[in-house]
Amino acid sequence: MILIPCPNCGPRNASEFRYVGESIARPDPNSATQEQWRAYLYERVNPSGWTTESWFHRAGCGRYFKIERDTNSNEVRAVRLEPAAATKGES
Amino acid sequence: MARPAAVARSPIPAFGSTDVVAGWEVSQTSRTSQGATLELIDCMPLTKVLVRGAASGAVADLLKTPFGRASRTLSGVLTTACRPEEWTLYAVPGSAPRLIDKVTKRVPAGELVTLLDITHGRTLVRLTGSRGPDVLCKLCGIDLSDAVTPTGAALRTSVARLTVELVRDDRNGVCSYLMSCDRSYGDYFFGALLDAGTEFAIEPQGFVLPGI
Ligand SMILES: [Zn+2]
Repeated sequence: MILIPCPNCGPRNASEFRYVGESIARPDPNSATQEQWRAYLYERVNPSGWTTESWFHRAGCGRYFKIERDTNSNEVRAVRLEPAAATKGES
Repeated sequence: MARPAAVARSPIPAFGSTDVVAGWEVSQTSRTSQGATLELIDCMPLTKVLVRGAASGAVADLLKTPFGRASRTLSGVLTTACRPEEWTLYAVPGSAPRLIDKVTKRVPAGELVTLLDITHGRTLVRLTGSRGPDVLCKLCGIDLSDAVTPTGAALRTSVARLTVELVRDDRNGVCSYLMSCDRSYGDYFFGALLDAGTEFAIEPQGFVLPGI
């Protein structure tokens, strides 16, 4: 079992969460080129090592948050909630 | 006297003979099984009201139940806070309009609050007995020790692969859990709990007023 430390609920089984993906800065829709949009939508770094990613606590508090995770060891360090506007979504 | 007509039924099929309580068809608790040391009660008739509002506002002040806790700050109502800025109120059957009215009157103009009667939308069961944690630890990954989840703890987690609101609400000093899931999973959920509790001689029980 992989434990994911939710900032609201504490450590829970990874099956309670939805993996949202690597955190990627959203380009400005008014000025971004098609290549930039495609990169934003489809391209990922997929590092072997530390990465920052978003998770959604589907079966718990229903909030999005970010963690830093080592993809080799599943060790997790810094955890933080997403900004308020992005944290209330699905029920 | 003629038996009153039932207007509502639980998604959990009746076990044994049935009676009508507060308009709900409920299973009758058999005399031989009263006093069982581990029982699973179908609490579907209880009123359930969902409240959403700011963590610091009039509703939060009224309910006085922070995230992760359950309390009885309103008379006769169990208030649970399994998610941030969201509460579920449990009360005797048929009390939803009065409860919604009571909360609405406390909300000042301009404060955004959602109140929803979800009585028929959620399945509600109560697992009571000292072996309750042994049953639940077969179905969920939560630390159920007194140190981590004492009476008054409220959380939302996966139980039997369902999203369940789990509230530790001891009765007369005996370990007891109130659990709710989406209505349509009720039959499966009740069966999964009975299966897990077979080795501890769990017994299904019907609803008896007041039930909260
Ligand atoms: Zn959470």
